[in-house]
Amino acid sequence: MLSQIFILSSKGDRLIHKDFRGETCGTSMDLADTFYRRITSLPGDQAPVFMAHEGQHFVHVRHAGLYFVATTTADASPFTLVEFLNRLVTLLRDFCGPLSEKNVSLNFALIYELLDEMLDYGYVQTTAPEVLRNFMHTEPVATKPFSLLDLGSIGLFGAETQQSRVAPSSAASRPVLPPRGEQGTPMKVDVQGEIRLKCYLPSCVEMRIGLTEEFCVGKSELRGYGTAVRVDECAFHSSIKLDEFESGRVLKVTPSQGELTLMQYQLADDIPSPLPFRLFPTVDQDPTGRLRLYLKLRCDLPPKSQALNVRLQLPVPKGVSSLAQELSSPEQTAELQPGTKSIHWDIPRCQGGSQLSALFKLEVPGLSRASLLELGPANLAFELPAHTCSGLHVRFVRLLGPAGAPQRWVRYLTHSDSYVLRL
Amino acid sequence: MSGSGLSYGEQGGEAASELAQEAVPAATPSAPAAFGLFSSDIKKNEDLKQMLESSKDSAKLDAMKRIVGMIAKGKNASELFPAVVKNVASKNIEIKKLVYVYLMRYAEEQQDLALLSISTFQRALKDPNQLIRASALRVLSSIRVPIIVPIMMLAIKEASSDLSPYVRKNAAHAIQKLYSLDPEQKEMLIEVIEKLLKDKSTLVAGSVVMAFEEVCPDRIDLIHKNYRKLCNLLVDVEEWGQVVIIHMLTRYARTQFVSPWKDDEVLEEYSENNFYESDEEQKEKDQKVKNTYTMDPDHRLLLRNTKPLLQSRNAAVVMAVAQLYWHLAPKSEAGIVSKSLVRLLHSNREVQYIVLQNIATMSIQRKGMFEPYLKSFYVRSTDPTMIKTLKLEILTNLANEANISTLLREFQTYVKSQDKQFAAATIQAIGRCATNITEVTDTCLNGLVCLLSNRDEIVVAESVVVIKKLLQTQPAHHGEIIKHMAKLLDNITVPVARASILWLIGEYCERVPKIAPDVLRKTAKTFTNEDDLVKLQILNLGAKLYLTNSKQTKLLTQYVLNLGKYDQSYDIRDRTRFIRQLIVPNEKSGALSKYAKKIFLAQKPAPLLESPFKDRDHFQLGTLSHTLNSRATGYLELSDWPKVAPDPSVRNVDVAELAKEWTGILGKTKKEKPTEKFYSESEEDEDESSSTSASESESGSESEKEDKEEGSSDESSGSSSSSEESSDSESDSKESTVKKISRAAAKSDSEDIKKKAKRISGKRSPSNSSGTESASSEENSSDSDAESDSKSDSESGKSRNATSSKKEEKTVQDGKAPNKQDVFLLDLDDFCPVTTPVAVPTAAVLSPSLTADLEGLSLSSSSVIDLKKQTMFSWLWVSLRMILVSLLYFRIIIFEGKLKIAITNVGCLRTPPFCQCL
Repeated sequence: MLSQIFILSSKGDRLIHKDFRGETCGTSMDLADTFYRRITSLPGDQAPVFMAHEGQHFVHVRHAGLYFVATTTADASPFTLVEFLNRLVTLLRDFCGPLSEKNVSLNFALIYELLDEMLDYGYVQTTAPEVLRNFMHTEPVATKPFSLLDLGSIGLFGAETQQSRVAPSSAASRPVLPPRGEQGTPMKVDVQGEIRLKCYLPSCVEMRIGLTEEFCVGKSELRGYGTAVRVDECAFHSSIKLDEFESGRVLKVTPSQGELTLMQYQLADDIPSPLPFRLFPTVDQDPTGRLRLYLKLRCDLPPKSQALNVRLQLPVPKGVSSLAQELSSPEQTAELQPGTKSIHWDIPRCQGGSQLSALFKLEVPGLSRASLLELGPANLAFELPAHTCSGLHVRFVRLLGPAGAPQRWVRYLTHSDSYVLRL
Repeated sequence: MSGSGLSYGEQGGEAASELAQEAVPAATPSAPAAFGLFSSDIKKNEDLKQMLESSKDSAKLDAMKRIVGMIAKGKNASELFPAVVKNVASKNIEIKKLVYVYLMRYAEEQQDLALLSISTFQRALKDPNQLIRASALRVLSSIRVPIIVPIMMLAIKEASSDLSPYVRKNAAHAIQKLYSLDPEQKEMLIEVIEKLLKDKSTLVAGSVVMAFEEVCPDRIDLIHKNYRKLCNLLVDVEEWGQVVIIHMLTRYARTQFVSPWKDDEVLEEYSENNFYESDEEQKEKDQKVKNTYTMDPDHRLLLRNTKPLLQSRNAAVVMAVAQLYWHLAPKSEAGIVSKSLVRLLHSNREVQYIVLQNIATMSIQRKGMFEPYLKSFYVRSTDPTMIKTLKLEILTNLANEANISTLLREFQTYVKSQDKQFAAATIQAIGRCATNITEVTDTCLNGLVCLLSNRDEIVVAESVVVIKKLLQTQPAHHGEIIKHMAKLLDNITVPVARASILWLIGEYCERVPKIAPDVLRKTAKTFTNEDDLVKLQILNLGAKLYLTNSKQTKLLTQYVLNLGKYDQSYDIRDRTRFIRQLIVPNEKSGALSKYAKKIFLAQKPAPLLESPFKDRDHFQLGTLSHTLNSRATGYLELSDWPKVAPDPSVRNVDVAELAKEWTGILGKTKKEKPTEKFYSESEEDEDESSSTSASESESGSESEKEDKEEGSSDESSGSSSSSEESSDSESDSKESTVKKISRAAAKSDSEDIKKKAKRISGKRSPSNSSGTESASSEENSSDSDAESDSKSDSESGKSRNATSSKKEEKTVQDGKAPNKQDVFLLDLDDFCPVTTPVAVPTAAVLSPSLTADLEGLSLSSSSVIDLKKQTMFSWLWVSLRMILVSLLYFRIIIFEGKLKIAITNVGCLRTPPFCQCL
């Protein structure tokens, strides 16, 4: 059970503070400050999930720069605490729009009401949005009328018909870890994807979203005539009706305004398309004693697709003093980061099927075999627009009811999470 | 505050004008500033007060929002208390809620004024709208004013027999609050808990178990009778309730069932030597276990009913089930949780962190569980350090001969990590693998020696420390490595590493006879600049060399001892004195110095490289104490399995109650039999007051289920048709039984009821058919005034028809009902028709019984039935229900289809499960 909940801004201002059990009357006000002092004294992402302070235990999660903190005195399931905070964050997004300091402080009345309904004396009562909506009376205060998908492409469509629009976006985020073994085989590949729906329709209309017909769950299932789009595990949002899923791979949902994660899926080890990038490094020493690093990066995407914002990060021996470079095209840049002793090679855009190369010459005084060990592994970050690694696509988005023809967008995006190439 | 602020402002102004001549330039500008500051504050609060007193709701609402905003920012708004508390009776629900927020925050500080609001709550507790009743109870119990303890007690008692499960749920939550306010009420509160534990609503189950855990976690006897019901309801309970119930049931099961782990098997599992055990052996063993041990069916029930929850969307539920299986299931079955736990690793980092901690503990004891998922624990470059180290820990625990080579290659890349803390942890891990798996010790040692030439000092230092530990376990080939390390001594500055090298040289000085004295010579030079840790080891080295090679090192050792004698640290001075007495022979030293060599150069036991998670296993998994590795307040110890199982019959529910349970849970499938049973049993239990009281809740939930199926609009017609049906099918004798029972029960309660009759009728809403029925039953019981009055009003007509078709008596007695209605109509202005817009949630989303409960919520004013009145009529109700159930055969089939969907829908669908359930 929770004693208190507070939401702090990134500067440590108290946005919301609620004491549920009155266990710490005297010190409750200082607790938030204590927490902030302790959390800021720790470096970056090292903050432990649990911190103890005079019999109180702090649990926190951080989202959009805000700290969501719960304190507890007694033994409770730690999962309940963390999970509750995460649900709280999702609910706040649902009820008040995108999280920001301003949004939270404007909607405090709503948040208090929400907390009141969710927790009683520190015990979680319910977090189901459908149930909570029945109890809520306060209207949310929106900071902006509508900010549909923070995308650059919005301008193209104009903003006149904001009243009725649907924007499901299928984002397959993709943390892959394919370290090269001896033959350049991937060691472990993991794809995590989700379909997100952002809906700004004023009224509740049922929506039908058709997925690729060949979509299969699990290893054994077989469907359709084409190559199967296979995922290992698949989880749906609780509000989705799946009665047509088995027959036509159609998800039916009556979305409320705001963002909703319709489906999450995972895929491991056995992905249908080749990995988007492969790296062929050659390392040798030239006669003058410099370390020569020849990197060849091949993009294995289909020719129509492209990768954006590719950044290769390669740690080099500590003793490096200078870097000379030869890159294959002028738009690329590379530099040596003195802090982390690594090369950053930036490629703004990379067409599918193309091959890029770079030659780095490193001046390393006192080069030894041991210092060669410090080379690598390379870390790659990129974005693949209009491409999903699982091959999952949205066939159609249809609305039932008289809503007319609202705007619809389907967007695919693949992010790298951890794409490591071992040299 | 406003008053004082004003006066201060005035004084300041005066003082400023007076002192203007006195040449205090600083005061002059500050005074108006202060004045300005305060005046604006006053103005603001005055402004708020005025707004609160205005007649317009919008102004009030605005004011309340600003006040709550002040609370949110931590400003003091207590002075507005009188103005705010007036609005507690506001009709506007939005204002009301904000006033509640304010009250909960400040009531404790302003106890006298807070009492003003109590009467409003007492009135609201009898409101026809269950949402209002519930929130009134919630706020009333949140006001921490000791004077109102009796009022709270009364309110909780009444609410615990409310017809709305939502109100009962709030009553359960109020129990803990009252307990913390006044622990002396414990006995009475336990009674309420006992009553609510019998409740069959899924909404209540979670909340009452929360109360149980806080108020009386040791009263395990209260659970016995409800154990099976809780197990059966579990899937439908709301997810946070599930967590609490599962934890409670885990504790319960550990006290009530015998261990499913065979003793010798347990020992083997725990012993370090035997983890290579093959699966086949394992299976054989299981079969052996099965031969000797049969699991209690209740134990099996718990395991079976929690299994589907592993698919839950809520990480807390999954972990709760995982720990249940870990602590309760036979070893062979516990494996099914590992996949779900690994799945949790895909969620956000806080969850990952706790899951990994729990897996770490599990993997120490039972490697096999997580071995197939080895790759899932590979470290990603984006993981934060805390997760990296945990994964490393798990990988180390999982290492065995088969996978060690892959693991070592993986570790090799981790050592190169930018994150030095992690690299150091990796070296430790390699060390542990090397000691655990003898085949690879040499490989590991060589690898670690290679690392000694690493550029990074932390890596080298860590390697030295680990190599030192490894060498102790491998006394064979030291010479070369020690020589190598002696060379390193010049460059390494990390104290621990230096100390380790010195210790090594000292310990094995006979193997490196030429180098050792030289090292002592070098360190003696730098002695004064060394860290304490290193100084101690220099002394040690000196002593050992003195004993083995006194010719060369006698003077050197003397010199070092002299340096130590005047050192700043106590420790070093003490050690110096001790060593000197022990090794340097003089007249005072006794027999000990003869044995000095044996003392110093004894064979030392090799250090055991152990997992830092070793000591956590005495905490229950999935608890805060386990995560923190220290006892948190309120941690409830998991007891050991009992040697002999306690009497399992305590969980047997009385036959009458069992029958009810059937009607409640299984009734949909077994229709005929329970009906028979029910009546026959009820005859026996005729004068058992407990059974009637238990049936209260039953009838309540039954009527709700009907609401669900029939829809509240045609409820009355539904019941009437069913009653016709009943008159056809039921034999007369049975009816008379029903009558008899209801009569008997009624008599006992009749006194009570008469008193309350008026109040209740005031609460009843005109459209409430069940309400009128209960009223009519009341008349039935107090059959003193049996004036026949054929005239009846239209609302009660239908429902009364339902009953009158069976009993003439009732029609006769019904006469009073319309009168009562009149009374009610006069009081109508008291009844505020608060319409809360309640959207009925979609049935497919939520589990059916939960939906039933929630729909109960949305009924708002129409569901006001005082339960007391229902008491004596419940028998009749149940009989009607039984027939209705048989009528609704088709519906039920659909209903069950939904149920299945709901269960699979609880969480993640991994394999394609839809085809089966549709």
